[in-house]
Amino acid sequence: MITFRRVTLAFCIFCLFPLALIGCARRGGNAPGVEKSGQKIVLDFWNGFTGPDGKTMEKIVKRFQKQNPDVAVRMQIIPWGTYYDKLTLSLAYGGAPEVFIMHAARLPEFASFKTLQALDELFASAKPPLRAEKFAPVPWKATFYQSQQLAMPLDVHPIGLYYNAKLFKEAGIVDAKGNAQPPRDLKEFLSSARKLTKDTNRDGRPDQWGFVFTNQRSNWLTITGQFGGGILSPDVKTCVMDSPANRQSLNLMHDFIYKHKIAPRPEGVDSWLAFRQGKVAMVMEGIYMLASLEEQKGLDFAGAPVPQFGPKGAAWGGSHLLCQPARIAPEASQAAWRFMRFLSDNSYEWATGGQVPARLDVQRSAEFAALKVQAQFAKQLPSVQYETLSPRANALFPFVDPAIESVLLDLQTPENALRDSQRRIEQVLKRP
Amino acid sequence: MNTSTVSQAKPKAARWRGDEASGWLFALPHLILFATFVLGPVVYGFYISLHRWHVLSNSHPLVGFSNYSAALSDDIFWIALRNTIYFVLLVVPLGNLVSLSLALGLSSIKRFKTFYTVAFYLPVVISIAVVAVLWRWLYNTEIGLLNMYLSATVNGLRGLGLPLAAYQPIPWLSNPSWVMPSIALMSVWWGAGGNMVLYLAGLNNIPDDYYEAALIDGANPWQRFRNVTWPLLKPTTLFCLVFSVLGAFQIFGQTYVLFAPGSGPARSGLTLALYMYQQGFSQYEIGYGAAIAYLLFAIVLILTVIQFQLLAGSERAARRTAKAKA
Amino acid sequence: MKIFRRTQWWLHLPMIVMALLFLAPLGWMLSTAFKSPDDIIKGLGALRWWPNPVTTENFTGVLSKIEEFPVWQWTGNSVFISLAATALVLTVDSLAAFAYSRLQWRARDRVFSILVATMLVPGQVLLIPSYLLIRNLGLFDTYGALIFPAGAGAFGVFLLRQFFMTIPVELEEAARLDGCGPMGVFRNVILPLSKPALATLGIFTFMGTWNAFEGPLIFTDSLSMRTLPIGITIFQGRYNTEYGPMLAAATLAAIPVVIAFILFQKQIIKGISLTGLAGR
Repeated sequence: MITFRRVTLAFCIFCLFPLALIGCARRGGNAPGVEKSGQKIVLDFWNGFTGPDGKTMEKIVKRFQKQNPDVAVRMQIIPWGTYYDKLTLSLAYGGAPEVFIMHAARLPEFASFKTLQALDELFASAKPPLRAEKFAPVPWKATFYQSQQLAMPLDVHPIGLYYNAKLFKEAGIVDAKGNAQPPRDLKEFLSSARKLTKDTNRDGRPDQWGFVFTNQRSNWLTITGQFGGGILSPDVKTCVMDSPANRQSLNLMHDFIYKHKIAPRPEGVDSWLAFRQGKVAMVMEGIYMLASLEEQKGLDFAGAPVPQFGPKGAAWGGSHLLCQPARIAPEASQAAWRFMRFLSDNSYEWATGGQVPARLDVQRSAEFAALKVQAQFAKQLPSVQYETLSPRANALFPFVDPAIESVLLDLQTPENALRDSQRRIEQVLKRP
Repeated sequence: MNTSTVSQAKPKAARWRGDEASGWLFALPHLILFATFVLGPVVYGFYISLHRWHVLSNSHPLVGFSNYSAALSDDIFWIALRNTIYFVLLVVPLGNLVSLSLALGLSSIKRFKTFYTVAFYLPVVISIAVVAVLWRWLYNTEIGLLNMYLSATVNGLRGLGLPLAAYQPIPWLSNPSWVMPSIALMSVWWGAGGNMVLYLAGLNNIPDDYYEAALIDGANPWQRFRNVTWPLLKPTTLFCLVFSVLGAFQIFGQTYVLFAPGSGPARSGLTLALYMYQQGFSQYEIGYGAAIAYLLFAIVLILTVIQFQLLAGSERAARRTAKAKA
Repeated sequence: MKIFRRTQWWLHLPMIVMALLFLAPLGWMLSTAFKSPDDIIKGLGALRWWPNPVTTENFTGVLSKIEEFPVWQWTGNSVFISLAATALVLTVDSLAAFAYSRLQWRARDRVFSILVATMLVPGQVLLIPSYLLIRNLGLFDTYGALIFPAGAGAFGVFLLRQFFMTIPVELEEAARLDGCGPMGVFRNVILPLSKPALATLGIFTFMGTWNAFEGPLIFTDSLSMRTLPIGITIFQGRYNTEYGPMLAAATLAAIPVVIAFILFQKQIIKGISLTGLAGR
């Protein structure tokens, strides 16, 4: 037995060694320093711009490098699905990039743990000046958390109405000049959608639909926002899922499918493919989907603001904000600021890929007005609503999405789904 | 768990003098890696599960087992557990049946063996992100290949005058009761090749003498399978079963890439590993996520102990049968 | 000769059907890789397998932008990491499996139980502790971060131990009478007889490392350290996927693995014809 005990003891000590290595992780990692390659300050720039967005960003970064030979930007594209996992680990344990993209709806969470650098002074001393009046107010406001400014807004990507102009013309939904006429309110939307839903092969199932739900969360937030609903109250302290406005909007969406029969049962984002195939006449999708439509040859599409279904205007939107980590060396922070400023000043090029620049001077430029879809979607900017600006936002979505989905799939009544969601979200908000 | 019962075929060889030392020495290279990269993190993960632990937070208060009790009173945990068990029950028998049939087919033919083996194994090498893209195309109700082919087949048969009802498209991924079968089907396609290789190795391990003996007894192909192949393959079968169950309980990638945050209609695609990941990573409550992981671990541990007992029992039985036949 | 006395030609019928079913999704992948972006979507609705027009723009697109998308470097990384991990696993696991199956030592079964038990822990829970460990070991963003953890698993030890236990004791005893020590038995008796098991484990490890996703993602940072599965996701947007380039890259990524598999599986089938191995 003695030998056995000794062996076990040795084994346990042996196992403790890796534990000690894990345990001695220092919070925040290494002290902030400036990485240099030769004479250049190295800036790591993380974003999730996969696909065409990334190529556009790459071009802008290259131009910055040419004009700023003392800075080397190392851009890293991490797909959004895993982007925040990686960002969180780097902010918590070291290795955070000097500049990174953050969605407006995620900023409060990261801000509440004090992981972001305050930019108030950099904004105040910017030359030429860069103040609130240069930015659209909605994204500008989203950069503040507890009256500290923690980010520079790059863009807004609102939802909008994409419609298939060819199908509209075939159905005779045209204005005086013979151009396709997108619907502006609920009545026009329903009557157009009815005309656009067709069973061409007479098998009893429509094979052309007036509308389809693609991204359910953004579609619902748009419609419910127009009724004055949402996830949390404006002070983000109480949950308002189970509210009359939300019930009304969800009932309306349910009716599109089961009462008016103008939309098929939703299939998640892949329903988008049906619009690309020309089998669906209207969808409400983010402006960033533009690139995928532009590569669809022969698809005669156009963009318009979303119809107004409820008593007031509202459109879901997101924003890419530019942030710096809380622990950043002053010299790196200055260089990072220069880079952020450059991206903002040059956001027209960024907009071509399917974004609305946050900068008003860029929005008002003639070249931006020439971008047809972007200019249409940009009209909605004053009424853009983010998902919710709560530090808990990301923990709430797993309880919002299933409610919408089960109503649209006719698995639960709007009343039950919202009550259930309300209860769960209240639990999350109660957590310490 | 006493794993020495896994196989009673423990060689009863006389011991070398230095066995004690050489045992440790032979095991050491692996043990160092194992203790560092597996055991350490496992123990530390358990430590985390006893805390309220947000990745970005500076303080991690110790909360004892309250993460565990929270999980047990969380109805979504139970939904996820039920879904996971349903998946295991679907995919383990089906997957093993397919793998075994393919291996039997391969071992019974001579030509084009490489072609078939590669065809069956090929899906294994495709990364899950790509698998998801392809299968979402297949599974789409309105524009998916599967429904379009099925509908064309039904229409064709109707055209031939068969009294069939018009084809109603199957909502593969949008109806809660179809979700898990769809995921299971995709998983079988994706992973059958792996077990097939093991079954193939097991089949090739059965010496021809046994079959010859059976042939002399006048056994037909079914009897030969029943009396020779099946009992002698049992260790392989059970090995495959144990690891399929293990893998199936940890199902993560398939549902992660097919469904977004809510995880499918009525949470029908939400599995335990996914729920754990969501809690641990998307919401950064790694203490709670880790607690779910260790509950899953406890469940799988109990099941595996039972399976190992079965494995040991039937290995003994297999040897007896084999001896009797020989 | 196995279950059937002669080669059964009719068996090719079900086999070919199964093979077609297994290959169909991949066939669609291959044809999509040669389609233009609008044809990908139109072809999907029209069940059109043959690309119209056939284009190699996806492949050239993937291969030409080496700077943003160093696909060859990623392939190189994947090949190197997978080969290194396989070599490591085969070495340490076979040694360990030998210790757990053929050597008599006191703590053996207890240690082995721990090994087996850890296989039941869901892998995702290890990510954050492993991340901290790898940072503190200074392995972050190196090949080591991807290779060493792959060699630490217990599956290979378990698999090989099961195979080693089936090797008759008599062979070992004969070798010992010839004056072989444990190492001698290991090298001259166990290893030569375990080729099929080693080949199987080799394939499993190679594929597992090749397809690994989360580890490489979390444990490395720089563009030049990425592996192919992660590289491929560059084409996958949050809402939008560039199907053509993604599937072209997936096709390219599959080629080396298929070659490796064809080579290895010949090895298995040859190695397995060693008779006497199944004398349990």
